[in-house]
Amino acid sequence: MFRYLKKYWVFALLAPLFMIGEVLMDLVQPRLMSTIIDEGVLGLSNQGVGDLKLIIVTGLQMIGLVAIGGTCGVLCGVFTNLCSQNFGNDMRKAAFRKIMALSFEQTDQFSTGSLITRVTNDITQIQNMVSQCIRGFVRNIMLFAGGIASMMLLDISFGVVVACALPFLVICVAFFLAKVTPLFRVLQKKLDRVNSVMQENVAGSRVVKAYVKEEYEKKRFGDANEDLVGTQLRILTLSAYMTPVMNIVLNLSVVAVIYIGGIRVEQGDVTPGSVMAAITYLSQILHSVMMFAMVFQTISRGTASYRRVKEVMDCVPVIADGEAAMMSGEAATVNAEAALADEKAGPTHGKAPRKGPKGAAGGRVEFRNVSFAYPGSSGEAVLNHVNLTIEPGETLAILGATGSGKSSLVNLIPRFYDVTEGQVLVDGVDVKDWKLTELRDTVAIALQKSELFSTTIRKNLLWGDSEATEEELEKAAKDAQAAEFIHAKSEGYDTMVAEKGMSLSGGQKQRLSITRALLKNAKILIFDDSTSALDLKTEAKLYEALRTHYKDVTKIMIAQRIASVKGANRIAVLDNGNIVACDSHENLMKSCEIYQDIYRSQLKAGTEVSADE
Amino acid sequence: MSEPNKQSAQMSAQPIRMPGGRGPRNMMQQVEKPKEGKKTLGRLIRYFQKEKKLVIGLLVVVVVQVLCSVYAPNLQSKAIDRITEGEFDLLSKVLISMLIVYAIAGLATLFQSLLSAHLSQRMVKRMREDLFGKIVNLPIKYLDSHPHGDIMSRMTNDVENISNTVSQSLSSLVSGVLTIIGTVAMMVWHCWQLAILSCVTVVLTVFATKFLSGKMRTFFRKRQVLLGSLNGTVEEMVTGYKTVVAYNHQDEVIQEFEDTSDQLTKVGIIAEIFGGSMGPVMNVINNIGFVIIAAFGGYFAINGMISIGVISAFIVYAKQFGRPINEIAQLYGQIQTAIAGAERVFAIMDEPEEDKGGSKDMEKAKGVISFRNVNFSYVPGKQVLYDFDLDIYAGHKVALVGATGSGKTTVVNLLMRFYDIDSGEILIDGVNIKDIDCNELRRNTAIVLQDTVLFSDTIRSNLKYSNPQASDEAMIEAAKMSNSHTMITRLAKGYDTELTESGQNLSQGQRQLLSIGRAFLADPKILILDEATSSVDTRTEKHIQDAMVRLMKDRTSVIIAHRLSTIQDADFIVVMDQGRIVETGNHEELIEKKGRYYELYMTQFAGNAI
Repeated sequence: MFRYLKKYWVFALLAPLFMIGEVLMDLVQPRLMSTIIDEGVLGLSNQGVGDLKLIIVTGLQMIGLVAIGGTCGVLCGVFTNLCSQNFGNDMRKAAFRKIMALSFEQTDQFSTGSLITRVTNDITQIQNMVSQCIRGFVRNIMLFAGGIASMMLLDISFGVVVACALPFLVICVAFFLAKVTPLFRVLQKKLDRVNSVMQENVAGSRVVKAYVKEEYEKKRFGDANEDLVGTQLRILTLSAYMTPVMNIVLNLSVVAVIYIGGIRVEQGDVTPGSVMAAITYLSQILHSVMMFAMVFQTISRGTASYRRVKEVMDCVPVIADGEAAMMSGEAATVNAEAALADEKAGPTHGKAPRKGPKGAAGGRVEFRNVSFAYPGSSGEAVLNHVNLTIEPGETLAILGATGSGKSSLVNLIPRFYDVTEGQVLVDGVDVKDWKLTELRDTVAIALQKSELFSTTIRKNLLWGDSEATEEELEKAAKDAQAAEFIHAKSEGYDTMVAEKGMSLSGGQKQRLSITRALLKNAKILIFDDSTSALDLKTEAKLYEALRTHYKDVTKIMIAQRIASVKGANRIAVLDNGNIVACDSHENLMKSCEIYQDIYRSQLKAGTEVSADE
Repeated sequence: MSEPNKQSAQMSAQPIRMPGGRGPRNMMQQVEKPKEGKKTLGRLIRYFQKEKKLVIGLLVVVVVQVLCSVYAPNLQSKAIDRITEGEFDLLSKVLISMLIVYAIAGLATLFQSLLSAHLSQRMVKRMREDLFGKIVNLPIKYLDSHPHGDIMSRMTNDVENISNTVSQSLSSLVSGVLTIIGTVAMMVWHCWQLAILSCVTVVLTVFATKFLSGKMRTFFRKRQVLLGSLNGTVEEMVTGYKTVVAYNHQDEVIQEFEDTSDQLTKVGIIAEIFGGSMGPVMNVINNIGFVIIAAFGGYFAINGMISIGVISAFIVYAKQFGRPINEIAQLYGQIQTAIAGAERVFAIMDEPEEDKGGSKDMEKAKGVISFRNVNFSYVPGKQVLYDFDLDIYAGHKVALVGATGSGKTTVVNLLMRFYDIDSGEILIDGVNIKDIDCNELRRNTAIVLQDTVLFSDTIRSNLKYSNPQASDEAMIEAAKMSNSHTMITRLAKGYDTELTESGQNLSQGQRQLLSIGRAFLADPKILILDEATSSVDTRTEKHIQDAMVRLMKDRTSVIIAHRLSTIQDADFIVVMDQGRIVETGNHEELIEKKGRYYELYMTQFAGNAI
């Protein structure tokens, strides 16, 4: 944490300095005020005749000092904010950068929701903590120490009162904090619960209505709500007791000071003015104790948040560039620089090397004895000793039951996860030895769940290739069978994709994400069941386009429909993490029982087809 | 093309953000002006009315507290006077009355906090329940056509806002106003000239507040917008992380994030600086007020217009007076924001509820469904179904096929009365569905939707959602029929496995199996499957279909699917195109016809897709 603060040490130092200025002025002020009253208005040393001149002179002095104090206060705020917010900004950026470098098994472990809170809320909490530490902490210590010192200077006996009151107050505060702090955590949980019931009902309204569960849901919500309100009430009640108890301690001390002060005045050791001043200091001291409680709360919340953020920061990405790639990585940087220089010379030059599958013959994928289990799962293998080679330009289809490991298999190619055993090779090089960015540039994948971002259709598609021309865009969209519906939109490519692509149908989303993948112009193209929402005709057209326009690209398709996979060079049939067969449709029909079974399940009767054919 | 029904967003990935969320809602967070402030305030007050006793109690306590706080300084100065004058024997008397007043003040504060806590929590609880009850009963159309984030934000941010305002500001508002009135009255009573002079402070305060809060508002609003877009970026990119990685887009995404983050920091610093200067500025103003009173008071005293005691009283009053004015100036904005929030909450409450249909039941219904000349459009002018005419016989398995956007899902939406038709009628066993009790209709019709909806609860509860009375045996039977039993038993906790929000710990296909099991357990008279097996492999699907045939013997089922394999053994296949029926018949007949269905069939089986 101090690493991030170091950069702003000047601010962190200046802020408390100005704070000292502000507090000093605050401490001087009561004294001037009492001079005005005692001498100016009451004329104590002048037989009760006030001195107007003194009032105005001291008054102006006081306003001046307060103005200086105020300026100090504002400046302190300026520096505190410069420090804490810049610090927060750095930390937020670092955290986000880190998240963007995590491997999937890590993001899976954290869960997306928690990662989001860590970058947003938690960082804000830490930021608050820093600003509270700089400002609140320093200010209260000063007020506290200054107050006690001033009071002792007035008369030692007043110190005794403070000494008696303080422990009470500290115990009260500690008790309160100990009670309330855990409750806040409970409160957050209950709040999440209420929100999640709410969210489920809004998003799942069709199911709620279809099963006539309105009353049940109302009750479910009512319970969660009741729970939340109960906890909230407990916190509020505790706080309700807190304030009066504190006040009573404070007021008792005031009474005690007056009483003792009275005795001391009678003895002639103290003046009445100092009794008044003592009261002011007393309330200052006790207030600062209460403020400490708040500062403490912010700090404890901040440290909890810090721990959560640190957890992310300390994560070392499990999947990182391979060592063998390090050298070629340097070469790549040189290349990139060269490309950059080219770009300056002329856009067409700069783009040329990026276009077209790099290295005409590349795109070979090989699985060597691959086994895989999801990290953090109970260890049950999803894939068992898979051996499979896909040649450049080949079309391989993968077929298999739900949960047979199809997605897991293709996820290993761009190294979203690491194999538990065996090797995955792309163009003869173990993916672990590839530079990650290059590996992923080589592979284009259209995911099962098409993830689109809330920006224009064009910008979404350009993720595939940020420098694509209008023609390239149009061509890819046409191949993906998306051009037609995009043009049907009034704003065409500039139509906004609403949050989570809600304004698009499932099939449209899939076609957009396919367009994006095509635009990437990679050597290996993977469709992870990404045509499931397309109707048959559209799907057929898409495959036709793939066959003619992407001849050299290695195509790996996960699908459910035999029709989708029939034309593939080979079809791998996956069952329980094993490849049971891998051959052409015709051969599989002859030899593979499972395949025949799948085939039959998609037809009413096998004979009918042959009749038709 | 984009059918609103497709918007039934998946349960997944919309984590709830508490304050500081995103969207236009929060953009306005810092003081927004309600449109019909008075009317809304009136309605809000009606919420208070139900808690009359609490409100009255609170007011009483606040009055007591204000009286004490006005009176206590008097006593304190009296005590000092006693010391000054050397009347030490009288001192303890004053001190005792001080103790009494403090005790009363303490009790009053306690009760005030307790009462306002109860008041606000009760109100909020009621408001949340009212709102939720309303939302549950809103027509699907409303939920389809309004962003869910917006509805959620009303439920969370707005209600929370109202709650905070009620609990924090109500009593400080009342006590502030009372203190000001009391103090002003006392001041005028003592010396009206000085009272007028004290008003200089008020004028200064008002100006300063206005200036500063004007500045603050601009920057806070800007900050809120930026915060919204920052949170939006984080959420989108973290949820869509796989895509980010697949496209090597980390650097661009980080760049975008950092730009927003830098801007946010800049604006945030300025906003906070303005916010932070409020305190010191007020401090200066208060001191100016103090000097004015001391100077003029001294002048008046020297001229014999007032006594010295009045001046010291005035000094106390002036102090007492500055604080609530400050507070009220700030409360004003907070209250306005709360009212604007209340306005949005009430806007939902004013939405018409779903028509719950007539009173006819379906006890003896056999499941004959007839569509007669049904016309329908989600948005006026964009018709989705044209003269839709269809008879589905009891015990039949009917399939709807056709391209995306041909209106298949719409048929389901209409049958379940998620939407009402524009013209024509839909009959079940000859009874118009508008005359059937809506709950009755839905209880007898089970659907499995395209977008799987599961709840964050155990698998058991999710399955029994459709039929809580079902025995465990029946549940397991349904799970077996939907081919999910084996998969469930393989989980460590079996049927008691908790599904995470959006059920992410299961694959898409597995989630579909569960929702099919849920529908089976409902034991419905009519079963509708809308692309329910799209992520399930065809062999598993086949097993489910076989089970379904057994379950739905003598009952009606409607199936929508892209995969023709799913629907081939249907008794009756309806081919739809752009809202119209183009062909009907069974598989053999349609193949025979060599029409649209044949075309689809050939692309699928005889065709050469890849």
